Amino acid sequence: MYLILLPILFPILSGAILLIFFRTSLKGNEKAKRKTLVIISGSLLVITALLTITALLTAKESFTLFYLTETLPITFAIDATGTLFSLLAVIVMLCAGFFSFAYMKHEDHESRYYGYYLLVFGVLNALCFAGNLITFYLFFELLTLSSMPLVLHNGSKEAVMAGLKYLFYSLCGAYAALFGIYFIYRNSTTLTFTAGGVLNPSTVAEHGSFLLLVAFVMILGFGVKAGMFPMHAWLPTAHPVAPAPASAVLSAVIVKAGVLAIIRIVYYIFGANFLRGSWMQTAWICLTLITIFMGSMLAYREPVLKKRLAYSTVSQLSYILFGLAVMNDTSLTGGLLHVLAHGFIKAVLFLCAGAIIYTTGKTRVDELRGIGKEMPLTIWCYTIVSLGLIGIPPTGGFISKWYLATGSLKSGLPILDVLGPVILLVSALLTAGYLLPVTIQGFFPGADYDYGKLEKQEPSKLMTVPILIMTVLSVLIGLFPNLITDYLTAIVSAVL
Amino acid sequence: MNFICNFPFFSILLSLFSGTVCSMLPAKAAKVVNRVVIITVGILSAILLLYLLSTGEPFVYWMGHFPAPWGNEIRAGVLEAGMALFFCIIMYLSMAGGAHKLYGEVVESKHNLYYILVNLLLCSLLALVYTNDMFTAYVFVEINTISACGLIMIRQVGRTIEAAVRYMIMSLLGSGLLLFGLCIMYDLTGHLLMSNIKESVSLLVANGEYQIPLIVSVALMCVGLCIKSALFPFHAWLPDAYGYSTVSSAAILSSLVSKGYIFLLIKIIYRVIGFDIFNSTRIIDVLFVFGLMGMIFGSISAIRENDIRRMIAFSSVAQIGYIYMGFGMGTQAGMVASIFHILSHAATKSLLFIAAIGLTDVSNGSRKFIDLTGAAYRNKWAGAAFMAGSLSMVGVPLFSGFISKLLFSQAAVQVEGKMLASLIVLGISTVLNAIYFMKTVIRIYTPVKESSYSGITFREMKGYAVVLVCFIVLNVILGVSSQPVVNMIEQGLAMFA
Repeated sequence: MYLILLPILFPILSGAILLIFFRTSLKGNEKAKRKTLVIISGSLLVITALLTITALLTAKESFTLFYLTETLPITFAIDATGTLFSLLAVIVMLCAGFFSFAYMKHEDHESRYYGYYLLVFGVLNALCFAGNLITFYLFFELLTLSSMPLVLHNGSKEAVMAGLKYLFYSLCGAYAALFGIYFIYRNSTTLTFTAGGVLNPSTVAEHGSFLLLVAFVMILGFGVKAGMFPMHAWLPTAHPVAPAPASAVLSAVIVKAGVLAIIRIVYYIFGANFLRGSWMQTAWICLTLITIFMGSMLAYREPVLKKRLAYSTVSQLSYILFGLAVMNDTSLTGGLLHVLAHGFIKAVLFLCAGAIIYTTGKTRVDELRGIGKEMPLTIWCYTIVSLGLIGIPPTGGFISKWYLATGSLKSGLPILDVLGPVILLVSALLTAGYLLPVTIQGFFPGADYDYGKLEKQEPSKLMTVPILIMTVLSVLIGLFPNLITDYLTAIVSAVL
Repeated sequence: MNFICNFPFFSILLSLFSGTVCSMLPAKAAKVVNRVVIITVGILSAILLLYLLSTGEPFVYWMGHFPAPWGNEIRAGVLEAGMALFFCIIMYLSMAGGAHKLYGEVVESKHNLYYILVNLLLCSLLALVYTNDMFTAYVFVEINTISACGLIMIRQVGRTIEAAVRYMIMSLLGSGLLLFGLCIMYDLTGHLLMSNIKESVSLLVANGEYQIPLIVSVALMCVGLCIKSALFPFHAWLPDAYGYSTVSSAAILSSLVSKGYIFLLIKIIYRVIGFDIFNSTRIIDVLFVFGLMGMIFGSISAIRENDIRRMIAFSSVAQIGYIYMGFGMGTQAGMVASIFHILSHAATKSLLFIAAIGLTDVSNGSRKFIDLTGAAYRNKWAGAAFMAGSLSMVGVPLFSGFISKLLFSQAAVQVEGKMLASLIVLGISTVLNAIYFMKTVIRIYTPVKESSYSGITFREMKGYAVVLVCFIVLNVILGVSSQPVVNMIEQGLAMFA
């Protein structure tokens, strides 16, 4: 029964210990110190991952830690949706974690970084395992607080301001959501996540229109974390300033917390049947479509690689939200599949950008001519996942977009059912436009390029192996989608 | 009558006489006496609280041998005993946390004077909490004002003298209005004991007599106490008084003195006027509106402040606004939320003041934000404590601030007309809180390459660190196991009837 607590408490406690005691308690020269730190953090990370997987496999009962007030328990329970997000988190956190052991060599305050990294890991697990809305909210706030130090890690003025921006946007969003929690708390029998929703039928009849507004405010609030228009501006500021592996975690996993939040409130609190066909659904779909298009457009115009990837995250997350907003089985499957696909792909993209920065120090796309000749393995991985994000078969992105588009077409929503796939296609084109120049210029620098000054700059194994693993995973999703879609069908049929 | 029923009287008398005794003792001995008295009173209140919880009945205690309409009375219920206990805890921690600063800021020869004032303040707070007589309440309001002025002025720099004078003028204005209200009330009812006034007032209301004088009297008392507890827009005295006095004084003033007046107001609402009669007047709407304005303007002033102590002081204005907003909702739930916020704010604000002093000490005494950069690394305990306090203020779950916000919003959802206004302002004010507290936290945690200021280690400040830890624990206890406290508040309010 306590197994469910271990993947939450262990990383949080070990992260806290690392933060408090590490700097003072070690003797010896810098190099030896670093080695010890890396070994300790690495083993803590692996232990956490193992604990998480054990919990996912064995813990079936829910566990109530304590009562915040008489009617507000802090409860953890593992369900299929939580498992999906938790698995993504474990894989990405592990890969990015090992990548950072190599990458963080050129940054200061390493122990602080690993400390917060572990904290974030624990909080993410808690979010995935949260059994009711109030537990979820608690860890949603903690996620913002514990991930902020990763954003402002290098301590420069720019980073601190970005961290603040992240904090304000996230807190504002969380409070908008809290505003909704108060209403639900009053108008429902329970806050426990229940497939199909928890609203009282009598309340729905009485306050129906008001509850729609509440749902919309909550989606906007949690949508801040998922970078949904109009509160997306923090994302392209905050993600690029973090160290590359932290950006990968932010873009691949932490923003997914916003997605998970929206899944929880739409499908487990309000219930899709209540929201489907309302003005709220239409408004929400419009917002996601605007975000998809705008994100791709902004990414297309952005010269700095990491920033470009951040804009791409804005756009891609709204693919997922679009799938959630259409609210039928196909689109929801597509959305959930895209959670996985985008998670791996975006992590690889950011790690590749990190590897490029680490070895060459180049940040702008137009400086990257010939990079493919210098770091062939990295850029190959970059290219493969790019194709996935664009949606070219047989990669994962193709399958998820297929589901999204067909789901939209069969939804029967006026205008939006066709407009959705159109915008998805336009955006896919733009995605190709902003991702592939790196590949094209990297492998084909042109005739006037001085091949003489090329040198092998492939980064160390610690960097390439995590990239490789996640690239393979993203391709596997595309090659064997049935394994996952079967699993997703179980989730989808439960909540719809 | 059980022996324990003497305890409220003992606590008041003990703190009153220890004040007198302190004037003859050397500073060190006065300090010991002061600590012992606070602890003793705390223990007495705790026993009283347990006793009251077990009997479940409030009791009235005659001062002297005259029965009800003539004699003076003390009355104790769960809420009174609980408040007294809580006040003692906060006062002890604030005194212990600021003890080391006293040597730097107050002339050695005046130390025992300081302890006299603190003891008197404790005495007046206890009397305000326990008394059942309006005139006694007025007398102790004055004693409270005078000792508070002394606490501000004891650190003799220009700003504190100015602040004390300001405080004096505003406070006297407040107590003057309270006295006016009291006179009119006495005129209307012919009584000074709370229970007797209440009977007469309900009779007057039932017969529809003297409606306007009654309202005027209630309004005067409310405004008087609002001025004294620094409700917006009567808060002009506050930032200087909290910002420049010595740190124990600031912590005590912000978390206890203003709360004593608010508690008196609660007693007046419940025990003198009657909750329902009070809610049927328009006064609660006025309190509601000013509460909301305080929440916003207090925070805006805090954001614009460049001095950490004054920033914390301005944040008090916002928090007092929360409490009055709860009053203004006019429901039992709103009142419970307000009382919980009294506790939560007292625990958090004194923590912030005490932690801030640790941060300014390692920044060459400067309170400007620019100098505080990286202060949390120089004094780790103060940094962590300040962060905990800030998180509580911002309303992050697990800390007390979250629970009071939760209670406020639950109360707000039940009031039809005021729901949207209170929830929206609650939201805005939370975000504003987040802006200035997080700004400060990030500032103190921003690393500096070479610092010209030296840090401080745990060994040099053991006592201080322990106090900070106690404060954090208090906050987390209020945040994690709030239900017993809320139950106790509800029980206590039921005993007021």
